[in-house]
Amino acid sequence: MIPAIVTGHAVSSHCHPSLKGHKLMLCQPLGADGKTTGSPMVAIDLFGAGLHSKVFVSTDGLGARSIVHDEKSPIRNFIQGVIDECA
Amino acid sequence: MRIAQVIGKVTLSVQDPSLTGGRWLVCSPVTENRINQACTSDAMVSPEPSLVAWDDIGAGLGDVIGIVEGAEATAPFDRDIAIDAINVAIFDSLSHQPLPSNTDARP
Repeated sequence: MIPAIVTGHAVSSHCHPSLKGHKLMLCQPLGADGKTTGSPMVAIDLFGAGLHSKVFVSTDGLGARSIVHDEKSPIRNFIQGVIDECA
Repeated sequence: MRIAQVIGKVTLSVQDPSLTGGRWLVCSPVTENRINQACTSDAMVSPEPSLVAWDDIGAGLGDVIGIVEGAEATAPFDRDIAIDAINVAIFDSLSHQPLPSNTDARP
């Protein structure tokens, strides 16, 4: 699981069938100092995370396949939750 | 899924039989500062290492695509296949609005 910030979204009309109907969000990983680091990745969103929300992104392919209900989905990144507070 | 731009293609005359039916694209990862312009600009090589990805969607030169790397790249196939990166989406538009450095993330 990677802590990240939602920095935008992507639109794709031509994609793998398992991606159809899912929101694609750009998520930029957060470093240990709480600042964004590295290039954004694309993750599917199930919870309606908004722009600049702090989220955690899973890289678990098995979990992603069960979420999109497609055993043959190549999806790997999905937003697993929206972070309210980090202590 | 990483964002990359197609900068070329690979043609193989001899290949493993499991690899027939798809195309290979040479892709260059799109860096953060180019995400908003990538969909409307020509193919550009970024400083990050380029990679070769399997394509069965039909992306062409200059298209901005989503690439999945790792074991999940083989998930759509019902046969054993030796690939490590696959194109799963052709992006029409991308919007990237980085968080201003002096503000906190929204709860």
